[in-house]
Amino acid sequence: MKTLKLGENTFKLAWSIIKDLKASEYIGVLKCIQCGMCTSVCPAARHTDLDPRVISKRVLDNDENLISDDLIWNCFYCYSCHSVCPVNNSVCEINQILRQKAIKKGNGIPEIAPFSNYAENFLEFGLGSIPINFFDELVQDIGEDWLQLKVDLEDIRAELGLAPLTLPEEDVQDINKILEKTGFKNRLGKIKRVKG
Amino acid sequence: MKKIPDKEILLFKSCLVNLEYPGVESSTRYLFDKLDIEYIVSNRQSCCTGLGHYTDLFDQFSTTAIAARNFAVAREEGHKNIATLCSTCYAILKKSCNILNKNEEVRNKINNIFETSGLGNMEYIEDEMKSKDNIFHVAEILYSKSTEIENIFKIDLSHFKVASHHACHYCKAHHKDTIGNARDPMILETLANACGLDTVDWYDRKTNTCGNGFRQRYLNKDLSLSVTNEKLLSLKENDVDILLHMCPNCQMQFDRNQKYIGRSQATEFNIMHLNISQLVALALGADPYRVVGVQTHTVSLDPILKELKKKSID
Repeated sequence: MKTLKLGENTFKLAWSIIKDLKASEYIGVLKCIQCGMCTSVCPAARHTDLDPRVISKRVLDNDENLISDDLIWNCFYCYSCHSVCPVNNSVCEINQILRQKAIKKGNGIPEIAPFSNYAENFLEFGLGSIPINFFDELVQDIGEDWLQLKVDLEDIRAELGLAPLTLPEEDVQDINKILEKTGFKNRLGKIKRVKG
Repeated sequence: MKKIPDKEILLFKSCLVNLEYPGVESSTRYLFDKLDIEYIVSNRQSCCTGLGHYTDLFDQFSTTAIAARNFAVAREEGHKNIATLCSTCYAILKKSCNILNKNEEVRNKINNIFETSGLGNMEYIEDEMKSKDNIFHVAEILYSKSTEIENIFKIDLSHFKVASHHACHYCKAHHKDTIGNARDPMILETLANACGLDTVDWYDRKTNTCGNGFRQRYLNKDLSLSVTNEKLLSLKENDVDILLHMCPNCQMQFDRNQKYIGRSQATEFNIMHLNISQLVALALGADPYRVVGVQTHTVSLDPILKELKKKSID
């Protein structure tokens, strides 16, 4: 008879996910019954080989190869799986945590490097925006009008009675101090080195 | 149902509303003024990190520290009920609030960062904000005023057939706090009905994501737009004229990409996209250009503008 041997490290990956800051309280990683509700509602599962039910199974199998598996990068972060799970598991959060592990390991950095301009703008202005490196393709897909909107934006905002988009300099400096001390600036430095 | 405030509200600015559909913010302000909702907008508020967070660029700890700073801004401005224009801001702020309340180690670390940066006044005290009591989506605030809206709407837009796209980061990420059934949300339909419009209450892909998927639209365009296309086809089957939104990222995914998707599928989609605040503002008589901001849309809103013109002549 095949018996299940439970050791200290049997659920090492699962526990590291449960204890991660990103994991919701009471996340039911260990309670997965492989019902497949997650897969039935997953947009990525309809169009790619990503199967959230299998991701959950591989976590329970302590399959650390998941961290370098390209499949985890197909998730849309739509939380559809998360919202229907009968045992409060969340493959959406599992994927977010696995990607952070991939970034920590290094293999995930090329996946996020194209977005580093977002962080540069955030540090400079305290505001989010679409990274500039995607603009050419977006203009091609959407049309020149979209680029014109960027040119006219301040005028349109004024017409709508909205103030210019700036934070006081002092607040931008505060945000920089905070993100220096959370380690984010250091993280961004590593990401940009890979990009270059 | 959760208790929804109508005063001491910080209207939380959104990056994609700022840059893509500023009319969503001006429409919301117009409605808040009409409905006697007491609110402020603060230029000290930073973005939530949303696009950076969900492209995995930001780590959870940094996002939470930025949220704690914005909570301090709300507190210092005396308006600690946050109403977001974007569903991702909503999800991120709720998540960060839960972490700050429940994880003492993280709370202490962030408070220590504030302290050593000369920002001791920003200290976050356990439970000073509650995810369920202090963080809302603008659509929820409007929903709580549906009866008032029904009493004051002026313009009959019932000519148009309307359906909803309740953003995933509103209805699924914190589904226990979603108003109504998270798997068949009706907030946007209720508001459209209050303005006298008929709604398609269910269609095959109602709960589908918009397909943006953050990184997916930029790095996996075909995958992203395949998912958007599924929803567009389902809306077309149901002869929908207007899709109602509550998230600028979703609105952008549909409005900006619809023609491109149509071209690549050799089909035509004529679905107009409006944020719920924009629709209700139009129904209450707001100016399409000076309040609703139709000039920043990609899919033409001419059918609506013509109808408004006809109504003003009548």
